Amino acid sequence: MLTVQNLHKAYPMGKTTCEVLKGISLEVGDGEFVAVMGPSGSGKTTLLNCISCYLPADAGSIRLNGGELTRLRGDALAAVRNRRLGFVFQDFLLLDGLTVRENILLPAIIGGTADAQAEARADRLCAIFGIAAIAQKYPAEISGGEKQRTAVARALINEPLLILADEPTGNLDSKSARAVIRSFEQAKAALGATIFMVTHDSYAASFCDRVVILRDGVVWRTLGRERRERAAFQDALLDSIREMGREGA
Amino acid sequence: MTDFSSVYAALRRRSRGQYALLAGCCFFSVLLITAYVCVMRAPTVLAVLPEGGDSRKQVMMIFALAAVGCAVFTTYAAGLFFREKSRETGVFLALGATRAQLRRELFRELAVLAFGACAAGAALGAPLAWLLWQVFRLFVADSAEMALTFDPRAMLLALAFCLYVAAVLFLLGGRSVARTDVIDVVHESHKSEPIRAVPRWYGWGGILLLCVGGFLGYQVPSFCVLVLHWYAPEGLTAIFYLPALAGLYMILLHTVVNGWGRRRHRYRDLIATSMMKFQGRQTVRSMLVMTLLIAGAYFASFYAPMLGVNAMLSYDARPADYAYHWRADQDIPQEDEVRALAEQYGVTLTSWTQAGMARLAVDGYASVEHEGSLGVTWEEEYRERLCSDLFLSESAYTALTGEPLDLAPGEIAGVMDAQGEGQGVFGGTATLVTNCATGETWPVTTVEPLRNDLLFGRFVLDDGDYARMTAGLPADWRETQVFFNVQNCADTYDFAGALFNEIVDRSDPAVALFDAWDPVVREQEIAQNGYYWCDPEYLEENGLEAIDYAQRDSSDFRLYWQYMPQFRVLDKADFVRTMAVFLVLFIFIAVVCFAAVFVIAFTRCATIALLNRQVYDDLRRLGAPDAYLRRSARGQVSRVFLVPALTGTGLIYAFYTMILYFNGDPAGISPGEAAGMLACLAIIAAVSLLQYAVYRLTLRRVCKTLSIG
Repeated sequence: MLTVQNLHKAYPMGKTTCEVLKGISLEVGDGEFVAVMGPSGSGKTTLLNCISCYLPADAGSIRLNGGELTRLRGDALAAVRNRRLGFVFQDFLLLDGLTVRENILLPAIIGGTADAQAEARADRLCAIFGIAAIAQKYPAEISGGEKQRTAVARALINEPLLILADEPTGNLDSKSARAVIRSFEQAKAALGATIFMVTHDSYAASFCDRVVILRDGVVWRTLGRERRERAAFQDALLDSIREMGREGA
Repeated sequence: MTDFSSVYAALRRRSRGQYALLAGCCFFSVLLITAYVCVMRAPTVLAVLPEGGDSRKQVMMIFALAAVGCAVFTTYAAGLFFREKSRETGVFLALGATRAQLRRELFRELAVLAFGACAAGAALGAPLAWLLWQVFRLFVADSAEMALTFDPRAMLLALAFCLYVAAVLFLLGGRSVARTDVIDVVHESHKSEPIRAVPRWYGWGGILLLCVGGFLGYQVPSFCVLVLHWYAPEGLTAIFYLPALAGLYMILLHTVVNGWGRRRHRYRDLIATSMMKFQGRQTVRSMLVMTLLIAGAYFASFYAPMLGVNAMLSYDARPADYAYHWRADQDIPQEDEVRALAEQYGVTLTSWTQAGMARLAVDGYASVEHEGSLGVTWEEEYRERLCSDLFLSESAYTALTGEPLDLAPGEIAGVMDAQGEGQGVFGGTATLVTNCATGETWPVTTVEPLRNDLLFGRFVLDDGDYARMTAGLPADWRETQVFFNVQNCADTYDFAGALFNEIVDRSDPAVALFDAWDPVVREQEIAQNGYYWCDPEYLEENGLEAIDYAQRDSSDFRLYWQYMPQFRVLDKADFVRTMAVFLVLFIFIAVVCFAAVFVIAFTRCATIALLNRQVYDDLRRLGAPDAYLRRSARGQVSRVFLVPALTGTGLIYAFYTMILYFNGDPAGISPGEAAGMLACLAIIAAVSLLQYAVYRLTLRRVCKTLSIG
């Protein structure tokens, strides 16, 4: 599904450059729910932005279902963002002037596929994520958790190959965060969605099939949940993070 | 909702405020500019503003200021609009919208908005100008020549401004869609506009640059003409004002970022100061535009009091209530007829003096202009007959003025005005005098000038010289000057009007001459060019109205007829009517500029409030009481109003004083000008009160936006 190979990215910092991604390689399989964790500055968000094609990579390859993303430009890039990728942002990025249902339909409207089928799909997503009752409300009238579930539904409206989520629980209380993670699980279970999520939150990451831990721009360790209970997996994640902290000290 | 256009329409409905603000700013700018150009290019106004004259230059200069102000204001409003819209654009791009898709929708919106705002502004500009003009006619001054007509070609200037507005909208709109960094676009609206650290020397350095620029900008054109003998293009000499503009910007930056003096309570105004600082460049730019507009508005406002006070003082200072002169070949009412007319009106003459004058040619240096690669240059060329002036004998001068005078043979004395000024208009010196009828010449020596407002521009000769030099002159080279006084001058308006009409009625067309008409210059010009620009048939070609006895109440006639009587009561009473177009024009300009200032200040403050609503909510959560929040809001609003008001007012007052000083002939400020400057202070006080009212209104609106009770 998603293959990242030897990805490099540096930012100019005055007269020098700061290399944020130093040759990252990873893979995400079809229907997999993968999280990326790591301390601040480890390159998580930069990695996600490169995969989303929001930032151009300096070197390396990002392939989605065999298609190279790093070379895409203009309308081809827009088409990939619209139909093959779905996005969930930390601060939701819902449009205040549209209702919840209209926000969900937005990618379909942009792609010119907002027909009766899309509307039915939007209604189904509302039902799955428990936001049917607020479908006609505006973002300013709903809670943070509801906003993020709306964003998840929006990400799924065009049935993308991959959902990219950037700290989706970062702005939420624990109850709302749990609801959002549950919505990802539902998307995976009911719709077969593949999800790639960047998070700080070990609780959110513990729901994933696999967690990639970054440190200083490289993959430090990859942990698979396998058959472990969620709580045990979270403990294992916390142990790894503590271990990384000791190594860094 | 199934297509992208309907999404845009829905978002537009929810962001009505933003669209209204942008449309309002565009509409207002176009409205003001259209109203201004309609008046500036109106035949009514052009007829009284001589081409190439100072008044027309001033009107153009203030128009340039207003146009720059409105252009910056519109650009700022457009920038703000796209900044607020950037989040929406970023979300669309992030969700896979193509730039072409976004551009199509945005440009469709902008086309409607630009066309609507510009068309409405352009359509209402002329009616607004007409309405304001009529209000001024009703309440300020009115005369026959005040009937306002428009030149449709003025709309071309308005159209040019509309095109600028549309270009800015499409350019900034296109740029906002063309940006490639989606994340940056999404977060654009949250970014502050920090100013780089501003060194403290910016304050004094700015003042220095302002003074240097103001001085150079004003003096360089004179230097070019007088020293380099070169009429430098105005665009070139205007460059010397640039240091003043840079200095002004530095002063405003220093004021916003550092502030003047050390704060005693460092933390008291922390919020207001810091927020102001991080509103950044836009605040300083708005302030700069406001400062320039305030300066322009005051410059226009000062016109009426300066002209009025100066004129009234000079009328009062005249040594005689009534003065008039006529060419000896004219049948003009003399003492018996005047006394009889006075009797009819119940007016008592208390004195009557009349004396003969004669027109003689004087020598001097003419400026001969050459068109070259650098533009027009000039050189001095000595001419035995440079022009003609009116000469009086010393006894005639004494009879008219009561001042004893004894000139030696061969001596002449020029008459300056009562303050001893006027050398720029009347040289007052000569070394050779010629009787143009006989061709005889006499060398003369110029002595200390005399002072008299009513005889300004004449020469006085020794009695013997006068008799000798004027012998053989025909009647059309001789004149008679009359001074007389009356009892209760202020009550003799009807008599003055009747006498004025009698003089005009009995003057024949041969003396319907423009003030500058000179028989000696005419002879030379006809010999050289085949025509004389000051002859009545050529005046209109030179942008001047011919003297027409039927238009005796027009300002052109009253200001430029060579034989215009000087009757104190008539001049005083008719001053406003005579100068009506000038007065109303400059009042109109001032009103337009001040309106622009108020709208810019109001919009800027409203924007600051909108952008900082979150900060005030946070402060409230931290426990800040309403009084604290109000003080903080007041700190920002007052700065937006106060800094440009103080800077613009101080700047123009100093600049105006400098102009008056250097315009003095010799340099200096006359008592009339000093009184005029005092009257200008009264104008400043009145406008400041108005500014304060707008400030209070704005503060109330800002507090409402920030939910401060």
